[in-house]
Amino acid sequence: MTATVAGVRPALIPPSTHAYAEVIHRLEAGGSMLPDTPENLQQIIGIYKAYAVPMDFYWRDLLYIAERVFLNPLPAFKYFISQEYLDLPNSYAGDQSKLRIWRGGEKAHPELLEFMAKGETRAMPKLLHHLWHDRVNMEFAEACMQAMFWHQGMGGRFNDYIASDAYRANADRAIKAYFKGNLVMLGLYKLFPEMFLEQVRQLSYTANLGLFWEVMAPVFFEMSDLYDEGKMTSVPQAMDFLVNGIFAVAGRPIYHHVFIGGECIEIIPKGEGFTWLYEAALPYVEAVFYRTSPFRGTKSYNAQAQQVPADQADFHYGILYADVFPVGSAGIPPTLLMQDMLHFLPPYLQELYKHHRRGEEDQLIQLGITFQRSMYNVTSAVIQALRCALLYPLDDTDPEHLMANRRFFEAQMDRFLRPEARLSDIQTQDYR
Amino acid sequence: MATILETAAGAGVFSTLLAAVDAAGLRGALESPGPFTVFAPVDDAFAALPPGTVQTLVDNPPQLARILKYHVLSGAYDKAELVAQAEWSSLEGAPLPIRRSEPFEVKNATVVTADIVCDNGVVHVIDRVMLPG
Repeated sequence: MTATVAGVRPALIPPSTHAYAEVIHRLEAGGSMLPDTPENLQQIIGIYKAYAVPMDFYWRDLLYIAERVFLNPLPAFKYFISQEYLDLPNSYAGDQSKLRIWRGGEKAHPELLEFMAKGETRAMPKLLHHLWHDRVNMEFAEACMQAMFWHQGMGGRFNDYIASDAYRANADRAIKAYFKGNLVMLGLYKLFPEMFLEQVRQLSYTANLGLFWEVMAPVFFEMSDLYDEGKMTSVPQAMDFLVNGIFAVAGRPIYHHVFIGGECIEIIPKGEGFTWLYEAALPYVEAVFYRTSPFRGTKSYNAQAQQVPADQADFHYGILYADVFPVGSAGIPPTLLMQDMLHFLPPYLQELYKHHRRGEEDQLIQLGITFQRSMYNVTSAVIQALRCALLYPLDDTDPEHLMANRRFFEAQMDRFLRPEARLSDIQTQDYR
Repeated sequence: MATILETAAGAGVFSTLLAAVDAAGLRGALESPGPFTVFAPVDDAFAALPPGTVQTLVDNPPQLARILKYHVLSGAYDKAELVAQAEWSSLEGAPLPIRRSEPFEVKNATVVTADIVCDNGVVHVIDRVMLPG
């Protein structure tokens, strides 16, 4: 992959000799890691829409769990979101928003509400839908949260704060308030304080992810609307929309409040200055797109045989590396996401999948690979946003600046040199 | 001699920065004796950020203060002192690299006017808003 893209390579510096030189030159020309083809655009926009609908549930329920279910020792009903949280207005969409950035409404998406009522089967009591697993798969959302919680140390200050004395004091206040009058739980807290504290930390990451996705859902809905209206016509346009979105809400506060007996206890106050970009988005991309964990499914890993890296930073089980083929096995969180997205595929994607591979029989795999393409585009947006924030404009005329950009892009591409990376695969449409 | 904020107000090209300082509640701190070194982005630098970026920050003072503090060093340092050291610790906590002396570059910003000496510190005028990371 050393061919150059004619006419777009900056003339002020020599061409890259990196194995992914073609992709690097495309990034330097303002493009995405995903080639700009009409089918790629159609695939990624379609899947953003299918992702946004369950995401509209994920963020609401994650906040419900973090703020209301909190330390319930038997949280059997944590996925039974309260009406208040289902109706929670989006902070950045809808007329009520103080800082409306996206044009969609503030309420839960109508397709989500319809699915919650009927599922794949038919209208039944909520409990039956839950037991039949005919519902939005919150297990996927929680797996993402756990990946963020477990990897930690991926930039930002969130992790430092949850290890601080201030956090311990706030968590202690919340734990004691939550179990007020419950001598058994308070006794257990006295015996195993760290266990309770660790649970609160996990809930802080639950809030973090909820606040992150609250932003992403309306972003994806608007992209889908713009595509349907013929106003989003290329992959770089889709990437730029995401870059602008990242900047627009970069300063959104990340916090963890819990509501106990009518009182709001600030476990992580907004005043700590934690931001959407540094404490949520960047750790999320690192934990979920790149690292995650070698989950048990159709493939087993033997850590003793060094099949799992000793260094967490070397983990490479995220969507950018995933072999989407084993989709369909129970217990694999990404499979649950694929199934969630299957319910909300726009008709043009359903049609596309019918005409490739095994048609409807392997839709889950095809949409999984579409999702992989779409997340390479989101990762491209993150890379371009970081370049924009930390380095230099693409049309800079100083060769030293362009070389700094080049080194940055090459360092990013180094992460895809390992054989599991799917960057080469997504360069063609044959990979389905 | 004027303070850092009086100097900035007099220059006429820092209206966004001054409004941001007020929104973040940092006026009192920057009017204190300090001394501070302030890398002051001009209005055009804020205007170059994508739509919504500044507004989200202005609506959230602690988050805005964090970004602004990245532009401030404790102590008064002129260009000669700054270029002698590769990296400085900002009040935000993240390191602020000095990338070049000619032209004078701090992180990814170019210093368009250096060494404006004030009562309580030194101001260096920059052409971009810098972000930690």
